[in-house]
Amino acid sequence: MADLILENVFKRYDNNKKSKVLNDYAVNNLSLHCNEGEFIGILGPSGCGKTTTLRMIAGLEDITGGDISIGDIRLNNLEPKDRHIGLAFEDYALYPPLNVYDNIAFNLRAKKVSEEIIDEKIKKIAPLLKVDDLLKEKPISLSGGQKQRVNIARAIVREPKLLLLDEPLSHLDGKMRQVLRDEIKRLHREIKCTTIIVTHDQLEAMSLSDRMAIMKDGVLQQFGTPLEIYDDPANEFVAGFIGEPPMNLLTVTIVKEGEGFLFQFAEKNMKISVPERYNKVLKDGMKVRLGVRPTDVLIGTKKSPGSDVEVSVFESLGEERRLHFRVGEEFLTLITTEKIFYRPGDRVKLEFLSEKTHLFDMESGDKIRTE
Amino acid sequence: MTNERLHHTGKVVRNFLLALWALFALFPIFWMVLITFKSDAEMFTTTFAFHPTLENYQAVLFGTNYFKAFLDNIIVSSGAVLVSVLAGVPAAYALARFEFKKKEDLAFTILSFKFAPEILVILPLFMIYQKLGIYDTYFGLIWVYQLITMPLLVWVVRGYFEDISVEIEQAARLDGYRWWEIFYKMLLPLIKPGLVSSALLAFIFAWNSFTFPLLLTSFNVETVTVASLKYIASDTVHYGQMAVAATVAALPEVILALLIQKHLVRGLSFGAVKG
Amino acid sequence: MAQIELNNLTKTYKSHSALKSVDLTVKDKEFLVLFGPAGAGKTTTLKMIAGLEFPDEGLVKINGEIVNIVPPANRNVSMVFENYALYPHLSVYDNIASPMRSSLYRESEEYIKEAILKVTAKMKIDHLLERLPSQLSNGQRQRVALGRCLVRKPNVFLMDEPLAHLDAKLRHFMRAELKEMQASFDTTTIYVTHDYMEALSLGDRIAIINQGEIVQIGTGEELFYTPCNQFVAGLMGEPEINIIPGEIIRDGANVRVKLARQNQLYELPEDVADFFRGNSIEQVNLGVRGNDVSCSSERTSTKSIKGTVYVLEPIGNRSILTADVEGQKIRIIVSNSYDVDMDSTIYVDMDFSDIIFFDRESEEFLIRHNQESLVKEGANG
Repeated sequence: MADLILENVFKRYDNNKKSKVLNDYAVNNLSLHCNEGEFIGILGPSGCGKTTTLRMIAGLEDITGGDISIGDIRLNNLEPKDRHIGLAFEDYALYPPLNVYDNIAFNLRAKKVSEEIIDEKIKKIAPLLKVDDLLKEKPISLSGGQKQRVNIARAIVREPKLLLLDEPLSHLDGKMRQVLRDEIKRLHREIKCTTIIVTHDQLEAMSLSDRMAIMKDGVLQQFGTPLEIYDDPANEFVAGFIGEPPMNLLTVTIVKEGEGFLFQFAEKNMKISVPERYNKVLKDGMKVRLGVRPTDVLIGTKKSPGSDVEVSVFESLGEERRLHFRVGEEFLTLITTEKIFYRPGDRVKLEFLSEKTHLFDMESGDKIRTE
Repeated sequence: MTNERLHHTGKVVRNFLLALWALFALFPIFWMVLITFKSDAEMFTTTFAFHPTLENYQAVLFGTNYFKAFLDNIIVSSGAVLVSVLAGVPAAYALARFEFKKKEDLAFTILSFKFAPEILVILPLFMIYQKLGIYDTYFGLIWVYQLITMPLLVWVVRGYFEDISVEIEQAARLDGYRWWEIFYKMLLPLIKPGLVSSALLAFIFAWNSFTFPLLLTSFNVETVTVASLKYIASDTVHYGQMAVAATVAALPEVILALLIQKHLVRGLSFGAVKG
Repeated sequence: MAQIELNNLTKTYKSHSALKSVDLTVKDKEFLVLFGPAGAGKTTTLKMIAGLEFPDEGLVKINGEIVNIVPPANRNVSMVFENYALYPHLSVYDNIASPMRSSLYRESEEYIKEAILKVTAKMKIDHLLERLPSQLSNGQRQRVALGRCLVRKPNVFLMDEPLAHLDAKLRHFMRAELKEMQASFDTTTIYVTHDYMEALSLGDRIAIINQGEIVQIGTGEELFYTPCNQFVAGLMGEPEINIIPGEIIRDGANVRVKLARQNQLYELPEDVADFFRGNSIEQVNLGVRGNDVSCSSERTSTKSIKGTVYVLEPIGNRSILTADVEGQKIRIIVSNSYDVDMDSTIYVDMDFSDIIFFDRESEEFLIRHNQESLVKEGANG
């Protein structure tokens, strides 16, 4: 077994000595268990500690506290070169005077691997990354996408125990990004090497990773499969961070009506029914943060409980239509692929898809669970 | 924590070294001020214990035409800066905004005025000035000072103009402003830090200039740097009086430097538009 | 009244030609979106209308009057720049007041104050009036720039990618805000963007521009349902429309289509079949959007196309499955809970009533099923 295990890892930079705040860790008590062969995404806004984490695993940063190990081997005190890690950074950093072949071979030659073996390995890796036609080229004549392929080829030719990718696609334009994303995914299936990708692009993380870790201010927020995180965010931050277009997050007051409850919005006369499963945990007059994805807001029928609401903006976007309802300074958005047409000022009743309606605590932002 | 202590020790060492440097840098000035109060008799016989006297001051300020030199220096230095601003700001704007042939060559030529040692060009300049009849005039000195003040100003202000996005000017044009209004209302406030600091620095350079006034002027126009030489008499050197002349000449610079030091560093190292 | 007309606008920078004979008429009070990829000539067109760039050839007319030699200040146009171009040394209030304080468009200070309070309340920046641009977030700066543009009563509003620098979330909301305000503009507006959602959402009409040429002008529905060529079809929609080569097989009155490297013949909707009866086109490309393709791991009908799963990518509320059919990649939108192994066999079904037919050679639009009604439907919305 060669799982990558991070146990209570801390990182603190010394230069921010002056702030005596408790939480000035770049990485704060991070524990992750990545199974062998898994593709893990680390995702978060800039400054959340994701790159620091990657650099600690690679051995480019000291670890302030905690352990990082692969299987039984503790990495903390190993030199980067002894960790058997392949790294591909955002900028390609290919050696300009060397051609693609020599670039890929560079690290192997440094380790005094024989030329036959090097040749064999490159001949095997190059077609996987579609650089077999480029082996004689110099980096300067390559496109961004090609450079990144060479860069990744260079990282995996050493057959690392662990492949680390730091924003590998962020320099590329939209189409190239999509193509390379597909190829990285297929490559991973081919070489089955434990891989960690650090990114700020949620599409990238979601589409590539088996499981992903969401970080904020150095603290792990949630670790799970993309679908788990999308459907069941642990707190308000994750809910707002994941999803495109973003989840509707609004402050609502719970009001009792008959047997059930209604959400009352900042526009006082706007009321929408609360899914029944929340009845046990709610009280009249309570304030909560409501989170519901635009695709989980439905147009109700005349009989739906609550008040009708006024359409503020209607957008027809080809494949989908978006309705925005004004709630104070914000909008509640509904997205549907059905061919419906409304005008601003039309009134409709809304419902929320019961199991996709999330409530978050006003103070902590934690999800309010029903069981 | 050992770390904390290390940090503390580091701070002490750093401050000590800085103090040492300050002492080294300030000592000549201190020494200069000190000897202004010494009489010629005590000049070489005492170090710190002497009978302080104001006779050097009296001799320089009232005994010679030092005030005239001081005034002349102000006239030529500020005149030079003024000409540099009037000619240099448009030049800087053109270098920043317009594309024309040999643009970089021209910009470099302006900068290169500062490269050649003054002594190298002074002889031909002297002859030219004699021929043109501008030897020993305010105009002549202000003109030659452009070699000192203009390059600095053009280069700093050009950088400021380059930092202002061209869209800001275009937006102002669409707002209905004329070009001079755009310059006055939109551009000038944005280049002000650079303009002020480079103009003041240029002023100081012009103020300190020695070679040009020494050789291109004589009795009509006289600057303090040259005037200080007068205290070297044929028989003896009046170090005390010379020190007074130098001290008074340094005063405007010290005052200016103290007033603007914050802006000086900012103005010369930062761009105009910080987002 | 402010109708903008561009006649034969042409501009060449050094050897690269930025605009090639652009003709465009923007009706009074119309919201026209100029939409195209980066470097297509959108901003150049806008700056020519503003008078900040000069055409090598051609005329710019505002209200029928040729303004080629009228300086920008006198054209009375109001513009939002892509980088906002706020005056860094002026407060938000003074920035927005700037157009009303110039010698040409001067207003009284009371009028200015009232106008600013009105526009800033609408933009929700009325609490920021004292701040300098450097103290604002990107989203706030963008709203100040919009405010400075909208505070005037010009002939035309020109907006150059005003939302491009916002992050995806803010963009989603600001688009809705802008759309809500749009009704109150009451002024001709030309809006430049490279985001198809902005174009579809905001434009009364959309002009698609590519490599300095106008490719197609029409309503969002027209462009989405009946793109004039494959390029336009490829601009609209995410993931990009699938283009599959096919062949029209005529067997007497029976017109059917065969996909490249497949043997199965497919019936065509009657109106489409009629179209192909009237000509002899054989080589076509089928444009089909990811939404209009379905797939399953079991063969559901004899018409299903067999392929393998190339990659499956969950992207939140849906997943994109890329199927590999004999080397042809087909992107299909599936539910986000759909799970399938890579390289397993998959059967793809297409609904031929949603397919757009293009000529293989010229890549021009030929026909689609129900094209009139689809386009008309949109006109209501």
